[in-house]
Amino acid sequence: MEQKVRFEGDVAVLALHGRFDSYQTGQVRAWLEEATAASPARLAVNLAGVTFIDSTALATLVMGMKRARQQAGDLHLCALQQPVRMVFELTRLDKAFAIFADEQAAVQAFD
Amino acid sequence: MFNFWESQAEQLAQLGRAWLARGASGLCLRADGEVVWRWPQAAEVAQPDVVAEMATAVGPSLELGLCGGGAADGPRLQADAQFLSQAVNLEFELEMMTGELIETQDQLLALYDLTRSTRSHLEVPDTLQSVVAEVARLVKVDSSFAVLQAPPEWPQLVVCHPGCALAEAQMLALFAQAQATGGELLLQGADVAGLLPPGARNLLVVPVQVRGEVLAALGFVNRQLGDFQSPDLKLIRAIAEQAGAQVENALLLHETLMQARLQTEMRMAQEVQLQLLPQKPPRVLGLDLFASSLPALQVGGDFFDFIVEAGRPLIFTVGDVSGKGVSSALLMTMIRTVLRGAGKFDATPTPQSLLDRANRDLYDDFTEVTMFATVFVGQYDAARRCLTYANAGHSPVVFCPAGGAARLLEADGTAVGVLPENLALNQRLAFGAGDVLVVATDGFNEARSLDSGFFGYERLLDLVQANCHRSAAEIAGVLYTAVADFAAGHMQDDDQTLIVVKGVA
Repeated sequence: MEQKVRFEGDVAVLALHGRFDSYQTGQVRAWLEEATAASPARLAVNLAGVTFIDSTALATLVMGMKRARQQAGDLHLCALQQPVRMVFELTRLDKAFAIFADEQAAVQAFD
Repeated sequence: MFNFWESQAEQLAQLGRAWLARGASGLCLRADGEVVWRWPQAAEVAQPDVVAEMATAVGPSLELGLCGGGAADGPRLQADAQFLSQAVNLEFELEMMTGELIETQDQLLALYDLTRSTRSHLEVPDTLQSVVAEVARLVKVDSSFAVLQAPPEWPQLVVCHPGCALAEAQMLALFAQAQATGGELLLQGADVAGLLPPGARNLLVVPVQVRGEVLAALGFVNRQLGDFQSPDLKLIRAIAEQAGAQVENALLLHETLMQARLQTEMRMAQEVQLQLLPQKPPRVLGLDLFASSLPALQVGGDFFDFIVEAGRPLIFTVGDVSGKGVSSALLMTMIRTVLRGAGKFDATPTPQSLLDRANRDLYDDFTEVTMFATVFVGQYDAARRCLTYANAGHSPVVFCPAGGAARLLEADGTAVGVLPENLALNQRLAFGAGDVLVVATDGFNEARSLDSGFFGYERLLDLVQANCHRSAAEIAGVLYTAVADFAAGHMQDDDQTLIVVKGVA
């Protein structure tokens, strides 16, 4: 799985690409831990390139979201493909995360 | 010092006889100006008339002297001196090669001894103890020691033979120095006497490479026959290399054993986990029940449970802790225990109250270990033929009413451990004869075929609907078979757990 990082103001944007499963969460987890070390932690994760997500990957995103909120920030998700969106809906994680249609909306929502 | 005039006495005598036959009165060989050989042997040698220097690679300065000759004999005497020089040089080379051969043979024997004495030891400390005992014997020192720091996370290990000639702190300091420099440390001779520890006449420390790093050192205190010589150093270097290989082997064996132990413990954990699941479903009036869990290779976090209390409605739970491995299994036992406790001992338990309790009790722990658990809780009221359920992020849950279409019962709350509050509320369904509920885990819908396609939800819905006339056990059998056929050849990634609840007359 590929991951690319860029910054929009004080929002760190992580774009993921490929299959996001238990074998791929290590790097994302390390990035999230680092990105949520300082306050305010404003993160956006772009899932446009993610075709599959498993429970370990969901737990990793939940970890990032909880840590960001502890650091007076949040973790926004955006651009979910249909199969991934369905996983969020079935697990009702769409109630826990702020989910946006695209990256711009996810970043602007911090303003 | 070798004396070629002794080893080559016969050839020199022939040379002397030849010169006498030519009219000379005598022939002599001088080493550093002193006569060491003469011909005729018995005669006193006068001052030679003609002298030819020899060009030898080693040893004293040699010259051939001719008595009773003239200047005309000079070139011939020079030719003889040159010929003799070559013979001397060849003899010296031969002696050197023989010496090296013997030395190599000695080293081979020493290493053979070392290997033979250490190969019967399996543990790292035993191996090291055997190495130091053998090297003390081979190198003939009063005392030898070894320090090991491998694996790097282990504490340092110090062993001595026969006893410790140095204090442990001194040995550790010498090892640290060997690690820092990567080279040998040799202290001997009058000029370094002040640097030697008390009681030591000489001291040698050599680094030992283990897995490409200096993770050990061998030390030798007080060579019994004077100072350490070049052959000793060669032998000790060879021993250090061999000792490194021995330690690597011992470490590898240790790691393999640890791995095997871990695998055994994992297998036991999996067995304990399976034993915790109900071995057979309870008998409940108006229901046909079946439950099963097919674990994947790795220990997982799936669970199911039936909570039966006399005079109270049956409660059943199905859940899946995120992730895989022992951590998931540990949290699975925690959440199962909390749900079971609430179901058995709360005054009026409902599916929602169980999830409230689980989320309240476990949210902090789940947050700490960054995990969560999807949980479905059902409660069947036999008198009213009514099913109450609450779903915390769990899927797939398939409900197929008698004669109707199968549909997913989607969650209305997030998984336990995601948010500080449980959002899943009690939902009610009339549940009569012919109605079927299948609560499975994502090991079913996420089962993959060889071409990486997913089993998905549609196939599950179709199968449940097509087989809802069958018994609970038969429906489960159809689902397991279909998933296994679909994934044929592809390893089972995740546990496959389900409860099938069917209403009967």
